[in-house]
Amino acid sequence: MIETEGNAKGASVPVKAIIRGVKNEAPGVRTFLIEKSGPPAQPPCLPAARPGQFNMLGYPGVGEAPISFSVLHPEKTTEGRNQKNQKNLFGHTVRAAGRVTGFLSGFVEGDEVFLRGPFGRGWPLEEARGKHLLLLTGGLGLAPLKPVIEMAPTLGASGVTLLHGAREPRDIIFKTELARWKSEGAIEIELTVDNPEDNPDKGQKQQPKIHSGLITELIRPLRIDPSETVAFICGPEIMMRFAARELLIKGMAGSGIYVSVERRMSCGTGHCGHCQIGPWFTCKDGPVFSYTQLKGLPDVIL
Amino acid sequence: MSFYKKRAFRPRTGFFKFTCCTGCGFELAYFQKSLEETLRSFDFTFFRLASSAGSPEGPFDLALVEGAVTEPFQIIELKKIREKSKVLYAVGSCAIVGGIPAIKALSPEIEIERAAYKERFFGLSSTRPNVIDDYVKVDGHIRGCPPGERDLEEALASVLLGKKPEFIEYSVCMECKRGGNACVLVEEGLPCMGPVTNAGCGALCPAHHRACYSCFGLMGQANVPALKGKFRKLGFSEEDIERFFTLFGALEPSSTLI
Amino acid sequence: MTGASASQKDYKTVIPGDVFALWVDRLGEQYTLTGPVGGGVTARFEDISRFAQMDLDYQSTMLPPGKRYLFEPAEEILSYDISGESNIPGNNRETGGKQQKISVNLPGLPAGRRALIGVHPCDVNAILYLDKVFLRGPYIDPFYTARRENTFIIALNCKSVTDLCFCHLLGAGPYLKARAGYDMLLTDMGRGKGFLVELVSEKARELFDIFSSGRPPEEKDLSAMREAEASLLKGFKKNLDMAGLQNALLSRPDHHALTETSDSRCLSCSNCVMVCPTCFCHNVREETGLSLSRGGKSRIKKIRRWDACQDISFAKVHGGNFRAKRHARLRQFVFHKLDYEGQLGTKGTVGCGRCIRWCPTGIDLTEIAMAMMK
Repeated sequence: MIETEGNAKGASVPVKAIIRGVKNEAPGVRTFLIEKSGPPAQPPCLPAARPGQFNMLGYPGVGEAPISFSVLHPEKTTEGRNQKNQKNLFGHTVRAAGRVTGFLSGFVEGDEVFLRGPFGRGWPLEEARGKHLLLLTGGLGLAPLKPVIEMAPTLGASGVTLLHGAREPRDIIFKTELARWKSEGAIEIELTVDNPEDNPDKGQKQQPKIHSGLITELIRPLRIDPSETVAFICGPEIMMRFAARELLIKGMAGSGIYVSVERRMSCGTGHCGHCQIGPWFTCKDGPVFSYTQLKGLPDVIL
Repeated sequence: MSFYKKRAFRPRTGFFKFTCCTGCGFELAYFQKSLEETLRSFDFTFFRLASSAGSPEGPFDLALVEGAVTEPFQIIELKKIREKSKVLYAVGSCAIVGGIPAIKALSPEIEIERAAYKERFFGLSSTRPNVIDDYVKVDGHIRGCPPGERDLEEALASVLLGKKPEFIEYSVCMECKRGGNACVLVEEGLPCMGPVTNAGCGALCPAHHRACYSCFGLMGQANVPALKGKFRKLGFSEEDIERFFTLFGALEPSSTLI
Repeated sequence: MTGASASQKDYKTVIPGDVFALWVDRLGEQYTLTGPVGGGVTARFEDISRFAQMDLDYQSTMLPPGKRYLFEPAEEILSYDISGESNIPGNNRETGGKQQKISVNLPGLPAGRRALIGVHPCDVNAILYLDKVFLRGPYIDPFYTARRENTFIIALNCKSVTDLCFCHLLGAGPYLKARAGYDMLLTDMGRGKGFLVELVSEKARELFDIFSSGRPPEEKDLSAMREAEASLLKGFKKNLDMAGLQNALLSRPDHHALTETSDSRCLSCSNCVMVCPTCFCHNVREETGLSLSRGGKSRIKKIRRWDACQDISFAKVHGGNFRAKRHARLRQFVFHKLDYEGQLGTKGTVGCGRCIRWCPTGIDLTEIAMAMMK
């Protein structure tokens, strides 16, 4: 007999799922609330997903794309609150951009999708216990951290701060959630946009307030205790590069800074090799890495 | 692209020909294995090779264009086709890298005209050959001479599905090695263009013990000087080497291909 | 292991060549026999019907036997059947309802039994490397697993060394040191002296029913083997401090040896990766064909094929390419082979020299590494 480890033989077999709700978040960006249907999935089994993990979401003939979970606590969303079967519900926030995501953008409630997962290592939530949790996000990078924010009270962090940047005011996703988190007061939130013009709500009193400029300008005035802070960063790689550098300047160690990177994840199981960064497989060893793990590797711009 | 969202069932399709041998049209109309399915799925409202009925007026959901552009009136025609087509694919090497018609790009046009038409060459209006990317926006390149089954199917199925097509971008060597063929370049010193040629043919020539002559055109970022160096080491003359690289690829591949 | 004699205990026996050949021919009743045909460095593994068809003096093959037969160059791994008023996926709404039915099917696992005969030590080590990729957690590949289980591997210690071999730097040859993960090990004892056969697996002990017709190896056999190995070791031309490469190459990612080789010689043709016995990268594509139409049934197949990091689209995502430059792709290959030991706990190379031999411009990763370490 050939010795094998791992029991996830079914990881390569997609399961059917039904879209239970669709929400427009920003131009070209939508959140799909999805319910797994059919027989219980082979291990690894939904919905035991952790924030920061991803599914390979796809459709026959079109292919698959790796998409992080943006909803793991459906009871905390307006769409999910009234749904039955809440424990089988989860959500993905997708920008219609590539071959697969462009195809999925036409999908509506009731449509079938196919998925495999969850894959990857999520955010190291245990690291936040007793520390100040700093969340730095750019654009769609807020999506993989949304479940972290929603479970913030259970993390045992001494405080949570979210700094989020987007291109334009209308590109800010999760506006209602941001307003609610702000009003609940559990976390501190600052928002910024590269281009403050074109604000559809211009002149109105904004909740929360939107700064203008790069996210690094929000990081600079922060007063943090480097050894008592842990940072989770998610956004375009160039944004993560400069955000992480600001934190290093403030004295944080690379091992306390976590980033979620994008690569061409295809199999999800660490077999196909497309997502390699140095010695790592992004799909299996990531997509969340500590800054130290990736520092100095070729083809990384951190 | 709004077309993708509409997901037309039976796309109105036009097949247009410029300067070429019509081999791509033949491939589509007669030789490919999914002919019946193609005709069932696509409404060919203009395809001269298949039917003398039909009108080139459009509008078209899908325009397939073969051939290089070698005369001024073709430029005008091509631009019109682009305007009335939602999706336009370049089909075959002539349209994409110049193909055989592009050989004449190696000499001044007037010399070509004079050589071909002797003293009657006055009054001709031919131009230096160009690929259709030089004049209009192209949504995809179905490479080959004629196109390989894989890319042709990918292109047509993508239109039916409403997705962006994913064409082959790697070298012939990859298909050749997967097929387990003996390497005609390394083992036998034949002037095989496989290493820099875009795959899609299934390594047809090397599988039959012939050197690849790059009829699919160069792949993106092809390292031409490196392969020329190898050919020099094998003892081929500069003249021969130049011919290997200009037989199908006399025009530099358009930047959109890289 | 409870054998009585010493030879029984370590399952070693010396068998005359013609007797061994007869046994192999008989093995063909249960297994497809696959072995090296045609000699030199351009031999190829082919299905054979008789032992005599093989050339066990062969030096190397273009495609490595392990990768070729355990991890098929192209293989269907899944399919979808689509039926309904429209069998064009995603078109259910246009036909006014949910009539479209999509089912997911798994193909049967490969079942044929194959005996790979005459696999050199480097290629056995390459199989052990592929095992780490496909068999060791957290996910295992069912197709590779099935083939691995159905494949009986008869290794063969090398009888010659080529100029491009560097297995000795990695402990991957010319004599096989691994004592698990394959079934039998042969050492050719020289003209007319037969084979020293070592039974490594339980399966081999079960199948090799002529063990007792051999004779236990004597000290002079073993010393002859040691001498043969020592003389082979003297024949290697390449030298490189392998252990010193880890993280050292990585600290010089833009070294001119890499960029210059890439600019002047690298064709990005992927031959190096295709012939590499440890390169496991593959691409999965969903093939629709053109049977999509208004009615009936269609089948979409998921096919995986060998892929290569030298392919320009290998690391491409929407809106970017993480290895858009040619030298970044060459670097990925060189570093993956010689540096990134952390990935699977071992170097990604076994020193077979195929990537050098089959590179049209003769790019030599050991030369690049040596220049980088200067």
